[in-house]
Amino acid sequence: MAKTYDYLFKLLLIGDSGVGKTSILFRFSEDAFNISFISTIGIDFKIRTIDLDGKKVKLQIWDTAGQERFRTITTAYYRGSMGIMLVYDVTNEKSFENIKNWIRNIEENASADVEKMILGNKCDLDAKRQVSKERGEQLAVEYQIKFVETSAKDSLNVEYAFYTLARDIKAKMEKKQEASNPAGARSGTHQLRDERPKPTSWLARCSVL
Amino acid sequence: MSDTEIVQNKSEEASNDFVEDGSNKLVVKCKFCGSKILEKKTGKFVVQEMNLPLMHQDTRKEGELQSEKITEFYHVENMYTFENIGFTLTVDNYKYLSCADCDAGPVGYYDMNTKHSYVALSRVEHA
Ligand SMILES: Nc1nc2c(ncn2[C@@H]2O[C@H](COP(=O)(O)OP(=O)(O)O)[C@@H](O)[C@H]2O)c(=O)[nH]1
Ligand SMILES: [Mg+2]
Repeated sequence: MAKTYDYLFKLLLIGDSGVGKTSILFRFSEDAFNISFISTIGIDFKIRTIDLDGKKVKLQIWDTAGQERFRTITTAYYRGSMGIMLVYDVTNEKSFENIKNWIRNIEENASADVEKMILGNKCDLDAKRQVSKERGEQLAVEYQIKFVETSAKDSLNVEYAFYTLARDIKAKMEKKQEASNPAGARSGTHQLRDERPKPTSWLARCSVL
Repeated sequence: MSDTEIVQNKSEEASNDFVEDGSNKLVVKCKFCGSKILEKKTGKFVVQEMNLPLMHQDTRKEGELQSEKITEFYHVENMYTFENIGFTLTVDNYKYLSCADCDAGPVGYYDMNTKHSYVALSRVEHA
């Protein structure tokens, strides 16, 4: 059967135990309701199809299955991954500090050009917050990675984060393709469309009504 | 041999509304939230027996997995054919398929040996 999509991206969720990775995968969108049979077994990965500027993009999103508890995620897990969500918990200082360790782990194990994004999860728990949004932003600037605060519980910014990461991977791939086959083999319209205003990740607020 | 043929004919008749030229005539969606699982004509109709755990487990019967026999499936060879779907961790060489949006399931299963997926017609909506 003919291929029915334009791109396939393998994405991973990485971060300390308890920051909400599994919850993010479980509740990618609203209307979540937990059916116990599936949640007791646990989700390994999901396949999602999204439309990015007219291209059909398949996302295969993986959870770590608890490997992170041992602080070592093996090269096998990273293999083939094109995008990584680095997740910390805004109510847990340690999980934020460990983002740097996770980045090092990625540098040692994943492909060098893997696209990354930092998520400060559980931003609905403002009263228990230990990590300010500004510190999250600073870290992101330091590593030149995009950042957004999310709430898996309220489905806040989760979908947005996946679209942003996917869009960045796509842009990178198209740039590579262009470099390897230049001289306008493709029409210029696509490049122009990619110049649309960048997603407002720095501004996107984690607000709770 | 003739026995299986009879079963097959019956089932094809029963699913006539949904099956055309051996595949799903309509879009396959989640029964609960409407999330799109398969595009039209991407799942091949097959008849085979498989026990699938119920989507709603009766919690009063603790420790006892309730399942039912299902015979009609859409066979999906390549997992990337799916529009939106969840795969559970592996249990006895199978993964269960669930709705990617509301996590309802199992709506089918994935065989680790063959790497093929099977979606139960009775567990999804056709639209
Ligand atoms: N309030 C709140 N709790 C969350 C959020 N995300 C996850 N949790 C809770 O945090 C705990 C750990 O979440 P889990 O997804 O298992 O984390 P993991 O170990 O990274 O996979 C669970 O009790 C979740 O219900 C969130 O956005 N807000
Ligand atoms: Mg987890």
